[in-house]
Amino acid sequence: MKKRVPWLWVLAIGLLLTCAVLAAQDEKVAQLAKEVGGKGWIVYASRGESGTWDLFLMRPDGSARRNITNTPDYEEGGPRFSPDGKKLLYRRFAKGTTINHDLWGFQGNLMIAEPNGAKPVQIGGDREFPWASWSPDGKQIACLAQKEGIQVVDLETKKVIRQLPRKGIYQQLYWSPDGQWFCGVANARMMWTIVRMNAQTGELNVVHEFQSCTPDWFPDSKHIIYPSRPAGQPGNNGYGFTQLWYCDGEGKDAKMIYGEDDYHIYGGALSPDGKYVLFTRCPQDGGGSEKSGAPICVMRMADAPAIAGASKDLRKIHPEAKEATVLQLVEGWEPYWTYAEIGAQK
Amino acid sequence: MKVVLVMTLSLALLLSASCAKKPQTADTGADAKVTTLGSIEVTAQLEEIPGEVRNDPLYDYAHVMKYKVLQVQRGKVDKDTIYVGHYNPAKPRDAIADARVPQIGGNVKQFRVGDVHRMALEVPIDDYYMGGIINKYFGQVNDPIYWAIWTNKVSK
Repeated sequence: MKKRVPWLWVLAIGLLLTCAVLAAQDEKVAQLAKEVGGKGWIVYASRGESGTWDLFLMRPDGSARRNITNTPDYEEGGPRFSPDGKKLLYRRFAKGTTINHDLWGFQGNLMIAEPNGAKPVQIGGDREFPWASWSPDGKQIACLAQKEGIQVVDLETKKVIRQLPRKGIYQQLYWSPDGQWFCGVANARMMWTIVRMNAQTGELNVVHEFQSCTPDWFPDSKHIIYPSRPAGQPGNNGYGFTQLWYCDGEGKDAKMIYGEDDYHIYGGALSPDGKYVLFTRCPQDGGGSEKSGAPICVMRMADAPAIAGASKDLRKIHPEAKEATVLQLVEGWEPYWTYAEIGAQK
Repeated sequence: MKVVLVMTLSLALLLSASCAKKPQTADTGADAKVTTLGSIEVTAQLEEIPGEVRNDPLYDYAHVMKYKVLQVQRGKVDKDTIYVGHYNPAKPRDAIADARVPQIGGNVKQFRVGDVHRMALEVPIDDYYMGGIINKYFGQVNDPIYWAIWTNKVSK
C-alpha cells in the first residue's frame, strides 16, 4: 500500500498538468476567437437545412452564422468576395450535382450577387466562364477554358478583352490582387504543379512541384498559399497527408503553415491583411466537396509553422513547428474572407 | 448414311470456319466509333508505358505512352513513333467515360507493352483534355502528345 502512494501522486499531478495545459490551450483559442470576431465576414459553402449546398456568412469567430442563398432547388459553392467586398461570385449547380473537388470550376453556372447573397444574377450559360476569378478592380474576371486558354472577360459587356495560352494550367486559376499574375495548377515537368503566370506576357514559372493544388494569393501578391502532400510520408499507408504551405511567387522559401497527421488540409485562404489563415481539415483527401465539407479553421499566420495533435510523423519532419492554436468552426468548403462590412441581412 | 455423315462433317467444318473467322473480323479493331471519332486514326503497337499506371479513385489523369505506328487509316501522322495520352489507363476503356471526359472509350481492357491498338486520336492533347497528365517524356521529347478518344485492341 505504501508503495502505491507515490504513483497516485504522479498520476494526480499528471492529470492536473494535463488539465492545466488543456485549459491554457482553451484560453489561447478563446483569445484568438475574441481577436478575429469583429474582423469582417467569412463566406463558405455548407449543407443547408434542405440538404443541398448553400452559401453561408459568419463572423470569423463562428458567430452570426446565416444562410444567404437558401435554395433547396440548387447547390452552390466556390464563393469569393470581390477585392472591395462589394460583390460575391460563386457557382450554382443543378440540384443533386456531386460537386467534384477538381471539376467544380467547370461545373454549373457562374453567379454574381451582393456580398450578402442578395440579387443573384446568372452570368452566361451552363459551364460558361469556368474558374472565374476577380480582377483587382472587380470589373473583369479571368477564366480558364480548354481550347481558349485564359480569357479576361469584361463583366459589363461579357466580351473577351484578351486571351493567353493556358500553357498546361488545368484548374484553379486565381488572379493576384495587384493584377500582375495568375496562379494555377498545371502539367509542367509533372502534374499537380503550382505555377505562376505573368498576366501580361503569359510567361510561366514553376512555384511548387508534386501533389499540390488549390493555390491562392497572399494579399501582397508576392506569396502563394497551397495545400501539398509531400513525398515520403509513412502515414496513410505511404499515401501521406496534405498540409498547408506557402512560398514566394518564384517558388522560393517554401514553408509549412499547418499540418496534422490523419487530416488533409485544404481550402487555404488568407485574411485581407494576411495576418490570419483559413483552412479546412478533412480526414479524407480531396477536401470533402463530394460529401459535406470539413471543419473550417482559423489560425494566426504568426503561429506558423504549427502542428496539431500527436502527429508523430509530421513532428519528426518539422521539429521547429509550434503547437497549433486553431479556432475550429463549422463544417464547410472553400471559405473566403473579407474585412468589408456586408450590411443588413438579405 | 454416308451422305448424312459427309453433310454433318461439312456443316461442322463450315461452322468452325465461320467461328474462326469471327476473331479475324475483330482483329483489325475497326468499329463504328474508332473509324469516325477524332481526326486521326492509326493502328499502332504499344512500345512503352513509362512509370506506374496508377489506379487512383480520387484523382483522374492521362498517362502518356509510346507507340510505333503501323498504319495510318485517317488523318496525317508524320512520324513512326507517337506519344499518346490515355485517360485513367488503369480502367477498362468501356468504363472510362465520365463527367470530365464523356466521349471516350474502346474495348481495350488493360494496357500491355507489345499490344497493338487501333485508335481514334486528336492532337494536341491540351486542346481536347484538361486535367493532370503523367508525361515521363516531358523535356526529352518535343513531339506533340496525341489524345486517345477510342482505343480498340487488334489481335496479331
